[in-house]
Amino acid sequence: MFACMFAPDFPVQAALRLEPEDTREVLKQSPIAILDGPASLPRVMAANEPARLAGIEMDMTKLQVETCGRVWLRKRSPVNETTAQTALLDCAAGFSPRVESTVPGTVILDLAGTEKLFGRVQAVAQKIVSRAVEFGFDLNVAIASNPDTAFYAARGFAGITIIPAGEEAERLASLPVDVLSTSPEMLGLLEILDSWGIRNFRALALLPPVPVVERLGQHGLHLQKIARGETRRTLVPAQAALDFVESFEFDDPVETLESLSFILNRLLQQVCTRLLSRSLATNELRLKLELEARQLKSEEDREFYERSWKLPLPIQDAKVLFRLAYLDLEGNTQPAPIRKIIVQAVPIKPRFAQSGLFTPASPETEQLEITLARIRGVVGTADENGIACVGSPRVLDSHKPDSFNVQPFSGIDDDSDSSPAALPVIALRIFRPALQTAVELAEEKPCSMTLRKKQLKVLAASGPWRSSGNWWNASSAWARDEWDVALKTSEGIGFYRIYLDRIKNQWFVEGSFD
Amino acid sequence: MSSAASLRASIEAQIPSAFAVYRRPEQRTIHTGIPQIDSLIGGVPFSALTEICGSELASSGKTSVLISLLTQATQEHFCALVDAADSFDPISAQAAGMNFTRLLWVRCGKNKSKLKPMEQAFKTTDMLLQSGGFGLVVVDLSSLPERLVRKVPLTTWFRFSRVVEKQRTSLVFLAQKSHATSCAGLVLNLKAKPAIWSGKLLTQFRLEAEVVRTREKKSSQSIKPDFSVQSQWA
Repeated sequence: MFACMFAPDFPVQAALRLEPEDTREVLKQSPIAILDGPASLPRVMAANEPARLAGIEMDMTKLQVETCGRVWLRKRSPVNETTAQTALLDCAAGFSPRVESTVPGTVILDLAGTEKLFGRVQAVAQKIVSRAVEFGFDLNVAIASNPDTAFYAARGFAGITIIPAGEEAERLASLPVDVLSTSPEMLGLLEILDSWGIRNFRALALLPPVPVVERLGQHGLHLQKIARGETRRTLVPAQAALDFVESFEFDDPVETLESLSFILNRLLQQVCTRLLSRSLATNELRLKLELEARQLKSEEDREFYERSWKLPLPIQDAKVLFRLAYLDLEGNTQPAPIRKIIVQAVPIKPRFAQSGLFTPASPETEQLEITLARIRGVVGTADENGIACVGSPRVLDSHKPDSFNVQPFSGIDDDSDSSPAALPVIALRIFRPALQTAVELAEEKPCSMTLRKKQLKVLAASGPWRSSGNWWNASSAWARDEWDVALKTSEGIGFYRIYLDRIKNQWFVEGSFD
Repeated sequence: MSSAASLRASIEAQIPSAFAVYRRPEQRTIHTGIPQIDSLIGGVPFSALTEICGSELASSGKTSVLISLLTQATQEHFCALVDAADSFDPISAQAAGMNFTRLLWVRCGKNKSKLKPMEQAFKTTDMLLQSGGFGLVVVDLSSLPERLVRKVPLTTWFRFSRVVEKQRTSLVFLAQKSHATSCAGLVLNLKAKPAIWSGKLLTQFRLEAEVVRTREKKSSQSIKPDFSVQSQWA
């Protein structure tokens, strides 16, 4: 058996698919027309049922449409239609591996062998319709023993149609022949049929085949076979393009985060629904905002804002992804209103892992990512040297003191081999940046120094420990003489590490031993 | 059988736990890695607020104890260090054998935020406790001026102690002085004794720990154990 998924008024559905659910429900009930063509004279290329009832017809100009009362007008977006067709294929891929992208807005899938998974054909049709609603589509679904019968039944009958094998001609009989107008070549044949007084499939099916071939050729015979439900053809499965991109172009650029968040949420929901239908997840999310170039305040501002998040684990939850993106946008004000938003998820197989009995309890990965994003919103992303403010420390393989990096914290155990030292070690508290100081020397050893505007006596000094590095690079070269000193402070004896920067010829306090 | 005993038996027959004595479950702890302290107090308690105090100007050993505690804790738990003044030294921690993959380090005060470093630290701590999953959350406030930390209202400490009470997390504050008063489950005060020099090298610190406040073992408060921490190059 073959199932055909047909989205009536596909350009309208493609335009409304990314609207928030409640808005979409309202818009569906309102007359909507899609305009296409040159900007000087756009014409109607698609309209929904309320618009047709309001008197909107194909090829009407914008001015003519405006005379028909209040009609929502949308510009045609080929990108939206392509994405919608991909989404329709993703929806179908959840039911069968053999899916054909027949024409825009129509997908045929082979249901052979899926009975044990989804039950009887009626149940499959119901599931397809309800799944399509999650993808933002209202579909006609028809199931028949051959692809063409399913295709024309879906185009001609609203809702769910199931045609048992052998009843094709009888069930298709009431369909008007206009349903056959799927390509411009057919229009000529349909005009001839109209002149013969053939109005529906029944009349076409009853014509004698030989005279039909004599007058209309093989095309005519093919049409008659369709009307009788006798065509047999193999399905042409579509190649799965695992490109999970959703975009939305605003009619008027938006300035507020609230307006943006509705669409962002909807885009991410769509991406995640598509990922789920392919049994995939994402470990990298990319967001691109295209800004209104005319309203950029300075020439240094870029015309777009890009951000990507690498996740430690594959995620399928739209809420987590939305929260991550929202927290980032909240902390980054854009220099101009946003014209277009593009969301892309890099697909990856989901990881199903059971928690180990002996592994330590760790923060929940999805929750942790949100928490880290919120913390970054408070403390910042990176310091002036570009080192991250939140993450796991890593000591760099360098002789330069205080050389470290901060890597993303994943909350996942990597079984790294580390064992505590036999005795606790003296820890250094670092001053970042190092404090400038003045040191007095006696016999080339520090004898007193200033610390926090107080002159302190050096009780003992250990040094100098000379080190240097990067001498081949003037900008990053360093050279220092290090001393460990004991200072007499008002609260007791303090042990500090001081050093003489031999390039700047300036003394600094690096930290205190505590 | 006396009348009281028969009465007791008949009540227990109907309600078995009517006369049972409630025993508080033994408090679980994280070892500090310093045997002298662990034998005295058992370690840093879970589900409680702990304060480790010591002078900032003079060397007191509080950071060494903290590094030792984090090193021990990262062997078994995921830990978070909220560093209000960005004074954590990863090289010291590596020398101590800390497992960095289980440590989340939050460096406060590194951006031009509207919030001051201390506010950032408290807000971050709130988020981490809310998130859950960390065995140990350490907040290092000791490099902040004492007058600022003193102004933190008691309700804040109370709130932290109540939040952590319901979690299997140990919350440790490192400060110059104790501020949480009765909200703290354990308060350790550290002081340094004269250091040991080996020729020109500083090789060991001798430290003294005083248990200022503990909920579990009252008798331990009078004992002041002393111990040594060695330098990385010793």
